[in-house]
Amino acid sequence: MDRDRILVALRGFFAARDGGAMVAAYAALAQADPTGEATRADAPAADDLECDFNRLFVGPGKVAAPPYASVYLDSDHRLMGDATRRAAAIYDAIGLSSPLPGSLPDDHLALELDAVLAFRALLVRGASAELAALWRYFLHDHLAVWVPRFAAAVRRAEPVSPAIVRVVALLSAWLDEETGETASVAGQQGGAACPR
Amino acid sequence: MPTMTRRHIERMLDSAVSRRSFLGGLMAGGAMAALPNGLLTPAQAETTRQVWEGGYQTFRNACPRNCYDTCSIVTYVKDGVVKFIEGAPESSFTRGGLCVKGNSYVRRAYSPDRIKYPMEQQGRGSGRWKRLTWDEAMDKIAKKILSIKERDGSLLGLALTKYSGNFGITNYGIEGMMSSLGYTTRLVGTPCWPAGIDAQSFDMGSMWCNDPEDLPQARYVLLWGVNPAWCSIHTVKYLYAARDAGAKLVVIDPVFTQTAAKADEYLQIRTGEDCALGLGMARHILDKGLHDAAWLAEHALGFDEFAAYLRENITVEWAAQKSGVPAERIRAIAEEFAGAKPATIWIGYGMQRHVNGGAAVRILDALVAMTGNVGKAGGGARYGHLQTWAFNYHAMLQKPPAGSKGWVGTSGPKGEFDFAAADSGAASGGVKYSDRALNINKTAQEILDAKDPAVRMLWVACKNVFSQDFDRAKMLKAFEKLEMVVVAEDFFNQTVEQADIVLPITSIFEDWTINASYWHYWLSINEQAVKPLHEAKSDLQIAAALSKRMNELSPGSCTFATELDSKEWMIREFNKGIYDQFGLSSWEDLRKGPAKAKLVSSASFSDGKFATPSKKYEFRSELCAKYGHDALPRYKEGRAPYDKLRLLTPHHKFAIHSQFQNLDWMADFCPAPSVYIHPKTAAARGIRDGETVRVFNKQGEVRLAAKVTANVPPDALLLYEAWFKGLAYNVQNLVDDTSADMGSFKTGAPGVAIHDQFADVARA
Repeated sequence: MDRDRILVALRGFFAARDGGAMVAAYAALAQADPTGEATRADAPAADDLECDFNRLFVGPGKVAAPPYASVYLDSDHRLMGDATRRAAAIYDAIGLSSPLPGSLPDDHLALELDAVLAFRALLVRGASAELAALWRYFLHDHLAVWVPRFAAAVRRAEPVSPAIVRVVALLSAWLDEETGETASVAGQQGGAACPR
Repeated sequence: MPTMTRRHIERMLDSAVSRRSFLGGLMAGGAMAALPNGLLTPAQAETTRQVWEGGYQTFRNACPRNCYDTCSIVTYVKDGVVKFIEGAPESSFTRGGLCVKGNSYVRRAYSPDRIKYPMEQQGRGSGRWKRLTWDEAMDKIAKKILSIKERDGSLLGLALTKYSGNFGITNYGIEGMMSSLGYTTRLVGTPCWPAGIDAQSFDMGSMWCNDPEDLPQARYVLLWGVNPAWCSIHTVKYLYAARDAGAKLVVIDPVFTQTAAKADEYLQIRTGEDCALGLGMARHILDKGLHDAAWLAEHALGFDEFAAYLRENITVEWAAQKSGVPAERIRAIAEEFAGAKPATIWIGYGMQRHVNGGAAVRILDALVAMTGNVGKAGGGARYGHLQTWAFNYHAMLQKPPAGSKGWVGTSGPKGEFDFAAADSGAASGGVKYSDRALNINKTAQEILDAKDPAVRMLWVACKNVFSQDFDRAKMLKAFEKLEMVVVAEDFFNQTVEQADIVLPITSIFEDWTINASYWHYWLSINEQAVKPLHEAKSDLQIAAALSKRMNELSPGSCTFATELDSKEWMIREFNKGIYDQFGLSSWEDLRKGPAKAKLVSSASFSDGKFATPSKKYEFRSELCAKYGHDALPRYKEGRAPYDKLRLLTPHHKFAIHSQFQNLDWMADFCPAPSVYIHPKTAAARGIRDGETVRVFNKQGEVRLAAKVTANVPPDALLLYEAWFKGLAYNVQNLVDDTSADMGSFKTGAPGVAIHDQFADVARA
């Protein structure tokens, strides 16, 4: 599994604002998919994919699976919460910031996947203990806590188009691989424990 | 380095200084700038850092949702995010507290379900939505407007319906946007309070209530068809203060409300028979000689004729038979009311939503006047006021483009807040054009009937048509006639379901405006506390965006500013009159907290001067007669029943009309609607508490759970009007668009007989 290619495609998918971008991201994902399942799925029609994507992640109706960490991590289950602030702080610590501060919540899935790519690039250049610890924290105590809940929300929102089911399955598969390889912060003190 | 615990990491992350130094030299010089195609951008300048680590920034806001209380709010912001809000302590009315709805504002702004982007539906009602950029949305809308103008030669095919979903002064910029485009069609009038406004205007020259903060001076309070325990919680403290000082609180209502439960006495009146009860009391006061002959001689016109009418036509027994209130209680309450000085009546809005509602308000006014309680602190016929609304309406008052064609003839006011009603019609080739006025209370019928030209496009702002306008089935038909529907909203309600394009609207925290009250006398500024979330824009900014695109496509086609600073436009709404009235040296004083109008007296009409033709209180109003009503406050029959039971659809405590009930906090307490049925009525139909029933009439039906309770009278069904997220529930399935008696004098269209509705119920 070419993890960076998968991550780039996942990031592109969740950042997409129209069907064309979604189809393109899905195609890139299919190419990078080690199982080949995504390629076997029928190529999604851009219109259908876009409308389904909006129903699940954007609106204007009740959003079935909001792609924001705070909805799953904060007891308030709303946007711009503690988890949003935490995500922004993690980006800040590695020298990054939201392109739309204050209007796009920092913990949107696409931004978090972008941060994952940034961490991976930094770690390749050489991991200090601090960087490794921060990465483990972001992965195990943040992403690995909310992304499975998000994926479950998508699965509950039936019927979901096969392409989105596959995208979320690849997201989950990446997360499982990544967490399986990396020890969590301070062993059992971190891990799957919910920060809240 | 020792093993780092999660707590270490989180502590580091919470401090800007430590997180910036955590990775040491690695991050110096923007190491991340080299990453290709990323979304996140390098954090460079100090200003991009989160600087708030301790205290909060505070901002001034206000609740703009058409509520008596219009609470002044203090908003606490950290890192560009609203953390919590409180009632402003400076306002003696709000006194540091908010209601359950107000306290939910932070959740409202940050709800994951808030509408985030301009979106277009692929077929109305399909639920298939695509995102648009603001440029794309404005382009589609502007092209449609230009095509209408080309087809019809005017913009009368473009209609605006806007009301009280947000009562901010700069929200009138959406009316301004329409005027800037040309002469358009306006849904005019108000479903809220027009019959009562006209009634008080006929009697006293204007609707003008005492300061509610003088209620503690009252020695007797009749709460007539009003439920402040739910609908004006901040007034309740003044009612209690009055009682502590010896006043008696009497509630007159068909429903045993939470206010009734707290009163000293509750009279269950037959719905719509307020005229009879009021006249019965008046007759008894007259018989006992308890009227204030001296005040009447000096300040009133036509009292003798009213007295003669009472003597010849009204008896207490008749009033008792009509109203269902025992004659003995009518006499007792009348004597107590007339004997207490001062005594006051708070006239609710529900009681004038009847075919005889304006007549009823005139009769209650008469009770207050004949006992000499008008113009007295602690007295008065309290209904509402517009004394503190004399802003410039700079955003609203815009000129049409040169050469615009419109409706031929004069137009009336465009609602009670149209302070420029006289300024309509512009000369163009000798013809005077104006906007086309359609009755907002018959929106569906008016859209169906409009021709030459038809209404082709509807713009909906500050309003939820499918929840607040009448006869839902007819509204769906009317929408079929519309070629384009644009809705500016913050949540996906039943009107957005029927929209072609939805535009995300800002929360109260995200743009500037001003908020006045129609009940108390405080004025609040609404500051921008945070950036608009996602891509939301205010009505004012939407108007500018549309004007920009209109002028790009067709230069000169819209006179509205194409770019504007909302704060600057808010400042332009102030004038010397407002500054003097509130004792302000500048609008900036309001950043320190809300201000209260400097009142000569807490009482309205304290100088005994009335703006009626005679300058007196008019028991006999020729103006009223001119508008087709009785000159005297006489009995007027209610609407004949068209089904077995009366149908009441008042406000719920968790909602203001269709707002707030959709939020999760409200849903926790009230997840689903119910119909409230008296035990006798339920038993006669074999209905048990909690089971699903069908409420139906000639308009349609609603299915919901039955709540069996003696709090409602046996002859009535009660369903609270509200929009529940994700539920099809809608009381407008059952309410028709029959007009109330009054409203066209001051608001451009008669009110609507919301509570003169009938239905039956059966097990589903």
